[in-house]
This record gives sequence, structure tokens and C-alpha cells, in this order.
Amino acid sequence: MSVEEFQPRIIGFLCNWCSYAGADMAGTSRMTYPSNVRIIRLPCSGRVNPMIIFKAFQQGADGVMVSGCHPGDCHYVDGNYYARRRLAMLEPFLEYLGIEKGRFQLEWVSASEGKKWSQVVARFTDTVKSLGPRGKI
Amino acid sequence: MDDKITLAVREKAKELLEQKVVDCFIGYEKATDNLTSRPLFVYKPEQAERLVFDNTCVHNLSKYLLNKKDTKTAVVAKPCDARAIVVLLNENQVQREKIYIIGIVCPGVVDSRWGSAGTEPEVRCQGCPQHTPPLYDFLIGEPTDEVEQDAYTDVTAMEEMGDADREAFWKEQFQRCIRCYACRNVCPGCYCPVCFVDLKEPLWAGIRVAPGENWMWNNIRAFHLLGRCIDCNGCQRVCPVNIPLMLLNRKLKKEVAQAFAFIPGMDPKALAPLATFKKEELAEPSK
Repeated sequence: MSVEEFQPRIIGFLCNWCSYAGADMAGTSRMTYPSNVRIIRLPCSGRVNPMIIFKAFQQGADGVMVSGCHPGDCHYVDGNYYARRRLAMLEPFLEYLGIEKGRFQLEWVSASEGKKWSQVVARFTDTVKSLGPRGKI
Repeated sequence: MDDKITLAVREKAKELLEQKVVDCFIGYEKATDNLTSRPLFVYKPEQAERLVFDNTCVHNLSKYLLNKKDTKTAVVAKPCDARAIVVLLNENQVQREKIYIIGIVCPGVVDSRWGSAGTEPEVRCQGCPQHTPPLYDFLIGEPTDEVEQDAYTDVTAMEEMGDADREAFWKEQFQRCIRCYACRNVCPGCYCPVCFVDLKEPLWAGIRVAPGENWMWNNIRAFHLLGRCIDCNGCQRVCPVNIPLMLLNRKLKKEVAQAFAFIPGMDPKALAPLATFKKEELAEPSK
């Protein structure tokens, strides 16, 4: 039996209106991209409480990504502006706790950007793969 | 010098209580070990003689204001305590007209423990950027306007460590946590009626004292104080197992200061950094 390549477990928190539809677009356009991201659909990227990201890492996620509408395009007008501030503070804090830079990512993907979604996932999966497994805390 | 502050506090307390400006005066008295201090609630002018102020008055009395919302209360506030009051005002937890702040130009406090007055200045005082309270009704001491830049030497030292070393460091620190929640109970910013850690559904951090649960508790506690922690060192002072909690709080303080040019507790009218936003800020995520 050959040694299997490390397949990271990545949790993706996607906003319902843009990124989830963007991921759907990637699917209906038959684009191929790594299947490592487990998608959790949320109403808005503003719903992403930093606590759920801490929880994901505690439970052993190798990487966490949050994706929402581009700033200015939020379905709820300003949810992603709040998310941007919050997560911009979370990123250095995670690094401070010893979770390597690159294991957490915030991306803006709109409903028509199926291609961008597939690229983002491919790139993020590569990064997390190179960082190696993390395990539960 | 300390005696002068003590006398001024007593005199002011007596005056405020006699003239019924306030119903309660919160200050410090000598503890029963005759070395350290403890909080004192004064309701009658003749009790004001028990009040003291010296360099063992380490407690942040602003937390008591949360239990005195309906009574007009005077409180003795060092600069860090006054910043806590400003944060409580920012968040509409106390009413300005119900509180009377006795600001003290702070000479710094010492690391005192029960039974020993201590001589070493406390951690927060070593690089204290502000000696005059940002908000007061009556000031004891000569005001100085200068607010120095915080050097964040402790945080920078942590940042220079490798990721793996930092992870190991925090693992070692958090595994000592006995989850007594003293850090939460002492913190003026922790006033939620139900804390996330007491919730069973959703279960953010289980009640088990285990590495993962402790990791959740300590990190989320720190993150909930983002842009609100005023560096009073209360959490670290009361921690029975000496976890350097201020390293977490100060990291976030540094990030907020850099990203949003915001220092909590300075302006009673300011909005918390996460309660607001600007449309043009924070560069696009890396392509």
C-alpha cells in the first residue's frame, strides 16, 4: 500500500448570497478543484463570530477560510464591513497563538466568480497542505 | 506624598457624603494584615476616616459601579480605573450623572500580595503611558497632559518567537488554568449576564479542565476584550496560577492601535472599533 498524501481538513464559512452561489457556479460550470473544503453555509460573512473559528481550530481543522461578498456588495448592506474588521484582528491573534499564518484566510468571492472560487480553494489547500497536519488542541 | 492623597480622599468623601452629592463612596482601606489594601464602601460621613490611598491600592473599583447603577456613587479612580469607567460609559453600562469620579494622579502601585506590601512596581506601572485619568470630576494631584507611547516590548518579544515555540508556550500556560474565572469576575469589561463559557448550548468551551477547553476559554475571553481592555492588569493579578493574560490582551490592543488608531478608554463618546467600520480601510485580501 502506498503512503497516502496528506489531505488537509479545511472548514469554509461561506456567505449564502455570494460565495455559496459562487461555489455552486464553480460546480455547475464543471470546474475541478480540491475537495478538502467542508463548506458551512451562513447567511452573511458578518455572521462569522470569531468564536466559531477558534472552535474549528480547537476541534482539529487544518485550515479555516471565510468567504463573503465583496465589500459594498453585501446583501445586508454592511455585514461584510464588520466581518472585515473583526477578522482582520483575528488573523494576527491566531498567529500569536502559534497557528501558522496561512491556515486562516478571508476571501471575497461573488456569485459569478466560480473560477475565482476554484482558484482560491486550490491555492489555500496547497498552502495548508504544505503546512502539514495540526490535530486537535 | 501618599499621606497627602489619603487626606484629600477622606476630606472629599466626607464633603460629598455630608452634602448628599453621593449616597455611596467607593475607595480603599487598610486590609486586616495592615499592609495591603482592600475596597471600602462608605455610606456615612463619619466612616470616611477609614479611607486610605497608597501604592498598595491595586484594585480596579470601576467594576463595582455596575452594581450601583441606581445610586449616585463616587469612586476613587487611578488612570487605568478611569479608563475602565470610560469604556463602561462607551457601552452605556453606567450613566455619567450617576457617578462621581475622584481622579488620582497615579504614582504607580506595587505588586502587593496578602501579608506583604511589596516593593516592586506592578507590571502595568512599569510602562504606564498615562498618569492623569482621562476623565474625572475631582482631581487629586497635579495633572500632567503627556500620554506616552506604549512600547509593547513584552508583545514584541512574543512575536519574535517561532510559531511552534509560541504554541508550546501557550499550551504550557493554559494547561495550568483551573478555570476559576477570577479573570472574568475581576474584569470591568466582563459584565455579560450570561458568559459564553457558561452556555451549554452551544457549548463553546466545556466545563472540563482540559487543554482544548482551556484554550477556548482563555482565547475567547481575550478576544471579547478586543478594543475594550484598558490595561488594568486585573486578570493577571488575580490569576491563581499566574497565566500572563495581559500578553494576550496587549497583543490585541496593539493590533487595534495599529489598524484603527484606537486606544480604549480615552474618549467617552468613542465607538468601540468593532461596532463601527469605514468603507475604505484594510487592504483587499492578498491575491
